[in-house]
Amino acid sequence: MPVDDVVLAVNGDTAAFERVYHAHVPRVRGLARRMAGPEAADELTQDIFVRAWQKLGTFRGESAFATWLHRLAVNVIVERFRTLGTMRDRFLADGEPVLDVQPAPARSRPDLGMDLDAAIARLPEGSRTVFLLHDVEGYRHDEVAGLLGISVGTSKSQLHRARHTLRALLHARVNTCEGR
Amino acid sequence: MMDARFRYQDETRAGAMRGPAADDPLESTDPLRLAIGALADTPPEADLWPGIEARLRRPAGGARSITITLPQLALAATLLMAVSAGVSWLALRPAAPPAETPIRAVADPIEPARGDVARATFADAQYDAAVADLERILQEDGSRLDPQTVLVIERNLRAIDEAIRQSRAALDADPANTYLNSHLADARRRKIELLRRAAGLSSGGD
Repeated sequence: MPVDDVVLAVNGDTAAFERVYHAHVPRVRGLARRMAGPEAADELTQDIFVRAWQKLGTFRGESAFATWLHRLAVNVIVERFRTLGTMRDRFLADGEPVLDVQPAPARSRPDLGMDLDAAIARLPEGSRTVFLLHDVEGYRHDEVAGLLGISVGTSKSQLHRARHTLRALLHARVNTCEGR
Repeated sequence: MMDARFRYQDETRAGAMRGPAADDPLESTDPLRLAIGALADTPPEADLWPGIEARLRRPAGGARSITITLPQLALAATLLMAVSAGVSWLALRPAAPPAETPIRAVADPIEPARGDVARATFADAQYDAAVADLERILQEDGSRLDPQTVLVIERNLRAIDEAIRQSRAALDADPANTYLNSHLADARRRKIELLRRAAGLSSGGD
């Protein structure tokens, strides 16, 4: 995407912002889908881009636009969790059941990314959110903790749990494919 | 010519930023890390841009309020229903109070229950003082009220307090939002009115 489109959008050009939207919408919607589920993904994606338009004036170009946009997207999604009052329930670290590890349905061709997507969707919500923020979006534990209102220790334990479960799911999936 | 502020790397390539934070890394050979790198994103099935564009073209205040405050709008509607229902119940229910403690459910809501209660201007200090005065009156005289009336008042106060709490939380993130500010002021005004009416009922005054 040409950098000029961001500059034009900052100056109020909606046509340029539409090009910005099309360049970034797959990644933003992917984030919304993984964090909030497919049912809420489209509405959240719209909210994120409307918020981005409103906040464009605060973008100073000190980081990549994609980085700025994804930080904003995470904030909008977390804010939605908070508004819905689900945050506390999501992070009752000790109360979440450990997921039974069952391989995802086998497909004709192994695809690590798609397998991981399916496995992420099966994680308990708290572990899923921490995993996505830390391992996919690159937030440090202290940042994850600050965003979600949890302790660093909870962030670490949720991440450990998520990684353990995902590795097991991926391993089971690979074995399933290789056994064919 | 491009603004110098916008000299940055273009990182829109899918996956360019993806990966674990450095404070708890994954081994480069970890299959989980490889899978994260293989995550793919696809555009939404339906084009979301028309809906976004329509919201961008609304007046700034309108667009902003819809984006940030749909939950507050829902809450406001619930609040209005709760308060209206409560006040209507107070006003319309069959009157059977003891003769010595008449309940005047339709007392003028804008008149102070007692002469020593300041009229709220909704500036924080005055507001807090007015609320404290009214709550003191309620505490002192509340035992005169019908228990059912007390329940209705308490339920409505909780709804209003929740609206105030949510408005304040949202304003922390967006202090200049005019809708949220007016919503907060409205909720505080309703709280004062409800307290004033309740204090009027409990004190038996006009």
